Amino acid sequence: MAALTPYTYIQCPCSDSPTLGRPSDASSPTSPEPDEDDRTFDPRAPRSNYSLYPLEYLLYCEDCHQIRCPRCVAEEIVTYYCPNCLFEVPSSNLKSEGNRCTRSCFQCPICIGPLAVTSVETKPDPSLLAAPDNTATPHSGPYALTCSYCNWTSTEVGIKFDKPNGIHAQLAKLRNGGATRMTAKERKERRKDPAFRAAAAAAIGSREQEDLDLETQFANLKMFYQNQLAHPNSADTGLSGLGDLGFSSPTSLSRIMSLYTGGGLQDKKAKSRVGAMREALDPDEGFQLASLDESAAIAQLQAETLDDTASAAQLLDQPPNIGEEHLYGRGRFASELRPIPYLLRTKRSKRCPMCRHIISKPEAKVQTTRFRIRLIAGSYIPSIAIRPLAISSGSSASGPAVPGALLEPLKPAHYLLTFKNPIFEPVKVTLGAPSKTPGRFASKVTVLCPDFEIDANTDVWDEALRETGERDREKERRRRRGEDGNHNNNNNHNQLEVGKIWERGRNWVSIVVEVVPASLALVAGQGPLREDEDVLEIPMFVRVEWEGDAGGDEVGSAPGGDKEVREKRELAYWCVLGLGRIRQ
Amino acid sequence: MSKRHSILPPAPSGPRPPTHLSPTLTISDSAVLTGTHSITLHGETVIHPRARLDSLAGRLTVGRRCVVHERATIGAVGASGRIVEAAVTVGDYVVVEVGAVIEAGETVVGEGTVVGVGARVGAGAVVGKHCTLTPHSEIAAGEVVPDFTVVYSNGLRRTDKRGVAELKNKGLARQIDVLRRMIPSNPAKFA
Amino acid sequence: MSSRRPPRGEYIETDTGNKVARKATLVGTQNIILGGKTVIQPDVMIRGDLVRTIQPASQSATGAAPNNTAVSIGRYCFLSRGCCLRPPGRLYKGAFTYMPLRIGDHVFVGPASVVQAASIGSHVHIGAKVAIGEFAIVKDYVRILDGTVVPPHMVIPSFSIVAGQPARLIGEVPEGGHEAFELRDLYRTVGNNPQPTPV
Repeated sequence: MAALTPYTYIQCPCSDSPTLGRPSDASSPTSPEPDEDDRTFDPRAPRSNYSLYPLEYLLYCEDCHQIRCPRCVAEEIVTYYCPNCLFEVPSSNLKSEGNRCTRSCFQCPICIGPLAVTSVETKPDPSLLAAPDNTATPHSGPYALTCSYCNWTSTEVGIKFDKPNGIHAQLAKLRNGGATRMTAKERKERRKDPAFRAAAAAAIGSREQEDLDLETQFANLKMFYQNQLAHPNSADTGLSGLGDLGFSSPTSLSRIMSLYTGGGLQDKKAKSRVGAMREALDPDEGFQLASLDESAAIAQLQAETLDDTASAAQLLDQPPNIGEEHLYGRGRFASELRPIPYLLRTKRSKRCPMCRHIISKPEAKVQTTRFRIRLIAGSYIPSIAIRPLAISSGSSASGPAVPGALLEPLKPAHYLLTFKNPIFEPVKVTLGAPSKTPGRFASKVTVLCPDFEIDANTDVWDEALRETGERDREKERRRRRGEDGNHNNNNNHNQLEVGKIWERGRNWVSIVVEVVPASLALVAGQGPLREDEDVLEIPMFVRVEWEGDAGGDEVGSAPGGDKEVREKRELAYWCVLGLGRIRQ
Repeated sequence: MSKRHSILPPAPSGPRPPTHLSPTLTISDSAVLTGTHSITLHGETVIHPRARLDSLAGRLTVGRRCVVHERATIGAVGASGRIVEAAVTVGDYVVVEVGAVIEAGETVVGEGTVVGVGARVGAGAVVGKHCTLTPHSEIAAGEVVPDFTVVYSNGLRRTDKRGVAELKNKGLARQIDVLRRMIPSNPAKFA
Repeated sequence: MSSRRPPRGEYIETDTGNKVARKATLVGTQNIILGGKTVIQPDVMIRGDLVRTIQPASQSATGAAPNNTAVSIGRYCFLSRGCCLRPPGRLYKGAFTYMPLRIGDHVFVGPASVVQAASIGSHVHIGAKVAIGEFAIVKDYVRILDGTVVPPHMVIPSFSIVAGQPARLIGEVPEGGHEAFELRDLYRTVGNNPQPTPV
């Protein structure tokens, strides 16, 4: 069984109260829900999966005085950028390109590694060593996209490029195999060409219909229905009530179209129009005969090996609608795969769901890593570090001396919990843990000192002195006593004693938790051991109290609103301590 | 830093093997050649510092214009540990990257193959020509890998259709040109 | 390097606070720049001898002294046992050249990892047995999990968590996770006079 490093997860209050932990009553700020006291939080309940977070993932709203998790904050996108070229993408061109980079950034359809532009058939670069610096080298085309990891190249699907830049635009005009594909604009222009009209007229009626790709077909359909809406067939005015329910009615049609094309098509006048409309009839109107003949694909499957077919994961990674017809979700062969333009990434700011204040906001520029606002829970609530403690003071007491070692069933073990106070006020901590852990295998838990105070975090000078005065620091440490329990067995101060703090420092306090792990022996009739059921997890209710400056600005502050008044603050939340695995 | 140009703590080494070194070979002073059977290194091959060639389990042959990077091990004694006639045969234009291991036991690595960073070729495996073993790939003992195979993503296989074998060899030749000037060669130490 | 200090202890501690293990292999030290307070553990290998042989056009035109730095490392970096740093090499205008490897501050390189990137930003955590391909660019605040293979030329933007072969994005570094990249405390725990891990 894999070793387990002890962890602490904190429950965000958003998961169980409809008020998102917001004080509902002005007179009692941040008091826990009444039912909270009666009920022990079960870390194994299926719902708990969604509310437990490591401290780093949590934010803190200074106005609501409450923890906020990734699930409850409201996100707003600050910047879109390509993760490969790191260029910012203006939000105006996002939608048409499916949130993908339109420069020359592509991922390999086989292994998702990055693709680089390399010249083919000409001299110098073996792709592994080549970088896409096409300006400096006297390359001549054609060019291909090549994967530096799995050595896939776009020539395998018959795609080559004339220019080494603007690959996205070039790729949009190429089908796999090298056949060109018309853009919507070109198609429109072609329609105006009389020679083409004559040819098309001849083709009508025959089975040789023009092949449309998904994008063009959709564009044609959209145009056709828009025309229909603009010039409704007024011949049929009879069954207007019934006509409104069908797909061919103008009202339902405009509703559907606004769904799929993002609004803007809702025609006010459409309401007044009635009557059914005709359906698309030819490719120009977006009509496409379904190709039900799969004999070619079957023949290809017989001729080729498994390696030539595309895996489900590869097909899922394929972007929709980039030229090849009907590929999305239906491709079968590796030869149908296309280079994947990089999906854009975002920088996002986060708002408190209740008061709408911004609690995290990165700088908009792609290359900077600074934040304008970053209210992280770690600078407001104490962190809890867990360390196994090996002591031999009591003959019966023993614990895993090595971190990650398995816990022996029914044998008491001790863990050191170190609470570190990040705020500039001293805080009072009250812990509550059930005497037995919830679940099928109840381990006994005793928190030896559930009530203590931690000094303020006055670290401004200390941090600076740590750099230069390491020796002084060491002295100070020694004065405070050593860092490990087993050095101090003779020390009276460090005996396991109920109600006593194990060790304290500038802004931290260590206390001891004793656990007696349950035996994992299965009683007849019980099911087998479920996944991670051997992990000893302790639910613990933490209440932190401190005195802060009373801010007059927030809702629910003390009446009077005097800035000098010190206000009592309180924050309470559940957390889960994962100590280790129990030997089976 | 002082005038010292390198900090090179002594590398552990075993018995000195009989060697056949080409005069055009570039072999770093701190490469390790050890073992009891003969080690043959052909022309214009480059052996980086701290590369390790071990002929304890049989004869080693490395072809022309190969590059054996630092900490690569050719001829590591595999699980079987038996002694054979030709422990490892490496073809021409083979690149064995940092920390890669080629186990001994009639193992063959074909021409133009790249053994990636930290990859492992098991004892008795026969890797074809122009294969690419991506970093941390493993070829099981006794396995036969056809020519132009790419081993990637934890053991998936595909065929390299780039058709750049010749270009790659040319690129490698240029790399060797530079390395020959850069790495102080001391074949006398191993002769 | 203060040569007057008695040569004892596992590490050589320089005036700028670098702690270099005696059992580390540094080839071409004159081309390796350490920013200070960097820890190089035993069996680390740095290839400073693989210098750039073709200077950029701008520099050769001005006649400036060629910059021979092969590997530059910032402050508070931690190179774990058995890792290897080497400059990436490629063909440039038809000739082969190595290019410098630049590493920022607070970069942790895990045991047995091989780094051949063009640049590694600051506050980067590289796990154990990671292979970073040639000319990869890793930006700031990136976490690369154990066993990852970063393909050549890959760009990893800030706040990414990547894993797998080849590397793919599996998560984002949360806002509260920035401090975990700091390596000041780790720096103190190694050397000839190691300090205990602070609380």
